[in-house]
Amino acid sequence: MKTALKYIYSLFLLLPIVSCSSDDSMDKDEEKPTITINYAGGFPQACTQLQKGETYNFKAKVTDNKELASYSLDIHHNFDHHTHDDQGTPCTLGPIKQAIKPLIFMQNYSIEGGKTSYEINVSLAIPNDIDTGDYHCQFSVIDQTGWQSRTSIDIKIIE
Amino acid sequence: MFHKLLWAGLSFSLCSLSFAQKTFTIKGTVINAQTQSPIVGATIIGEGLFAVSSNDGAFTLKNVSEGFHTFKVTHLGYTPEFFDLEVNGNSEKVIVALKESNTVLEEVELLGKTKEKLAKEQPLVTVEASKEFMEANRENSLMQTLSKIPGVSAINIGSGQSKPVIRGLGFNRVAVVQNGIKHEAQQWGSDHGLEIDQYGIETIQIIKGSASLLYGSDAIAGVVNIKPSAAPLENSFSGEVNLLGETNNNLFGVSTGIQARKEEWFYRGRLTFRDYGDYKVPTDKINYENYIFELHENHLRNTAGMEANASFSVGYIADNIKSETFFSNVYAKNGFFANAHGLEVRTSRIDYDSSTRDVDLPYHKVNHFKITNNTIITANRRTWYVETGFQNNHREEHSEPVPHGYMPKPNDSKEREFHKNTFSLNIRDAFQMNKEHIIQSGVNLEFQQNTIDGWGFLIPEFNRFTAGAFAYNQFEINPNLHVQAGLRYDFGFIDTKAYFDWYPSIRINEDGSMSSIYLQRAQDKRLDFGNVSASVGLSYIQNNTTYKINIGKSFRMPLANELASDGVNYHMYRYERGNLDLDAEETYQLDIDIDHTVKQFSVGISPFVNLFDNFIYLNPTPNYFETLQIYEYTQSKVFRMGGEVRASTTVFHDLQLDASVEYVYSRQTSGAKKGFTLPFSPPLSTLFSASYQFKKFLFFEKPQLIVDYRITAAQDEIVPPEEKTAGFQVLNLSVMSHFNMMKSNAQLRLKLNNVLDTKYFNHTSFYRLIDVPEAGRNISLSLTISF
Repeated sequence: MKTALKYIYSLFLLLPIVSCSSDDSMDKDEEKPTITINYAGGFPQACTQLQKGETYNFKAKVTDNKELASYSLDIHHNFDHHTHDDQGTPCTLGPIKQAIKPLIFMQNYSIEGGKTSYEINVSLAIPNDIDTGDYHCQFSVIDQTGWQSRTSIDIKIIE
Repeated sequence: MFHKLLWAGLSFSLCSLSFAQKTFTIKGTVINAQTQSPIVGATIIGEGLFAVSSNDGAFTLKNVSEGFHTFKVTHLGYTPEFFDLEVNGNSEKVIVALKESNTVLEEVELLGKTKEKLAKEQPLVTVEASKEFMEANRENSLMQTLSKIPGVSAINIGSGQSKPVIRGLGFNRVAVVQNGIKHEAQQWGSDHGLEIDQYGIETIQIIKGSASLLYGSDAIAGVVNIKPSAAPLENSFSGEVNLLGETNNNLFGVSTGIQARKEEWFYRGRLTFRDYGDYKVPTDKINYENYIFELHENHLRNTAGMEANASFSVGYIADNIKSETFFSNVYAKNGFFANAHGLEVRTSRIDYDSSTRDVDLPYHKVNHFKITNNTIITANRRTWYVETGFQNNHREEHSEPVPHGYMPKPNDSKEREFHKNTFSLNIRDAFQMNKEHIIQSGVNLEFQQNTIDGWGFLIPEFNRFTAGAFAYNQFEINPNLHVQAGLRYDFGFIDTKAYFDWYPSIRINEDGSMSSIYLQRAQDKRLDFGNVSASVGLSYIQNNTTYKINIGKSFRMPLANELASDGVNYHMYRYERGNLDLDAEETYQLDIDIDHTVKQFSVGISPFVNLFDNFIYLNPTPNYFETLQIYEYTQSKVFRMGGEVRASTTVFHDLQLDASVEYVYSRQTSGAKKGFTLPFSPPLSTLFSASYQFKKFLFFEKPQLIVDYRITAAQDEIVPPEEKTAGFQVLNLSVMSHFNMMKSNAQLRLKLNNVLDTKYFNHTSFYRLIDVPEAGRNISLSLTISF
């Protein structure tokens, strides 16, 4: 019995040696970038109403511990209430309806020059010939390592 | 000199001990358990004692000392039997009944060696899970049951499905073989399980390590080999019914199987049905990124499901042939968590909370139909193994149709459909040159055809053909030293079919004008692959210690999606881009296994080192396609090492203690994610088990209490988009007992999983990505009646 325990102990003692011996000290980026609209200039805020024909500047702040790489802005309709935003305040949604000519905006941009903070600023004219109603606006950002963060906001497009 | 003195001293003291003792003579008989007729020539071995049964089955053991003795009785064609004897002068005549080994052919194949001895001689690191193991540890799905074996884990998808992971690698890097034929489903996908009925399985062999030599492509991390059951005894009929109930997901399951044999013909049949509701997690809300999902009464919405399986086989067994044809069909329908499908957050008007048993959208249904034939022919010193198979795998995934990007709202819920037919043929010849030398050679052929349908695109249609030829040599240098070496060549091609979106997307041209085009997602392309695999290993048995060393090269042909996909995977919220330049994955692995087993205890260690030249890795890039992150299939060098340590001991005869530790270290050593680990890396984990065998209690025979305590360390080694996972400790308890019910042997098991209702996350669970914890406390009651 004593020998058995000895064996077991010695084997268990071996394990940490085996497991820790080759830990490299490489500086890995394990942090996601951040993204927020919760500051004075952030736009749009939850439940914002946008008017057709007007031009708006979509703004969000992004930061990263190392290097920001690219970001995107996606606006799509939510006429079928298929999803909701992550801002915490629920907006009153209009009735469910069929899309006829919804606004689809999907663009991506790169952030040059190895920045660690940046303000997204996308100028967009809301066309006159699109469906009004509930829309969903999503910002996303990726850092050079490939970590991504997103935030989404419920908005409305009105006449 | 010192040694000699020591030996001399030791032998002297031993001699004086034996002189001091009184000795007795033991008489007994060896009989056939079925026919009660005497067995001639059976060997009876005890410590320093030996006898052979005579014409009337009688044997005599002389000079047996007073006290407890264990004897082993063996005879070719019979299962070895152990018996314990207390020798004190008034001993009675001993009668030992030996059971016939199940098949005639196995005797020829084994040459009278026991399974354990054969496993020791085999240089590959293998673990066998018996039916008893499966029954004592049965969980909701096959791989969850097997994950108690150190080095084996499971990727769980909800409560009823899982897929195998061996030392941190899964998906197409583990080959699953059933009745000799490679199980072909949609292994590459992360959200469905194995599609194998876990009832009615007699033996599962798990090979940890490089096994392409024997199994071809995919057997990189190892093999889960579900062996065909042994043929039933002549003129026998037997069966069993298993009933199972669980509280966490309100599962009800029934499985019943029968088998019978006249003389030469035998048949088997089994039906399994399971139905379960949404499972419960020990939390009332889930925080995923900035979203909060409130759970109704801790139920993970829409994770209910059902499974219905049927199998039948007919076999023929004669002096030098055994052939069995299996028909099986596995059908399952499983719901997916409703608040997030993959990584995509969804709201719905479906009233999921009205019932915890119904399966609403999103769900999938899968049907796996299989016909396989195993034929073994023995002639002289040759044994031929012929395995033929046809498999039809049909999977449909349904979700609520919603518009995505330029895709308008589809008309129906059928998001994807995969239809895969696989034809397989294996021929192997085992030639026993002489007592020491066996040469095995053979060919494996496989043809796959995959077609797709539905409005969501993930992998293209393809045809795939592989052919492999191998030869290996098992050589016995002396009874304790065995060498195995072999070489294999595989050739294959994959033909991917073009795929275009069914809806137009808007593209801005260079001159600023806009055009509306049907984007091409996959190309028409034929790619050829050729690969050499090899393996050489040594096993050395020194008394109670077995040493094994094996080095092998394995490979994996790239999959159609790795080569040719070019499209949005909305569930994972990413754009996946295949790479037609991918080579077949090649890997080298060194395995060592040292095992020391004596009567009171057993210890073992099995470390490994593994190098990938070109691991196929889906790399998250820093770029977008439209507004989704681009993930690209790339190849990088990978270094992995790790292993398992196990120990067990028996204390006071009735208490067995087991402990095991498993660990894997992975590093990408080249490419975009140099320095990072691999996705789904299992953390360091320890399992302590104690089982106590009680005395007979009321009508309960062999009541047993088993306590399992798992301690898992945090996983801080991650790669985008994973999150770090905290460590956890979880306690499981079970009580098992046999008893007689209407003259049948019955087994009852009460199992309590996650006793403390601990909220913990499993780093290798599919739902981990959306921060869903593991299942809460579960009480399961199962009853197996054998007749």
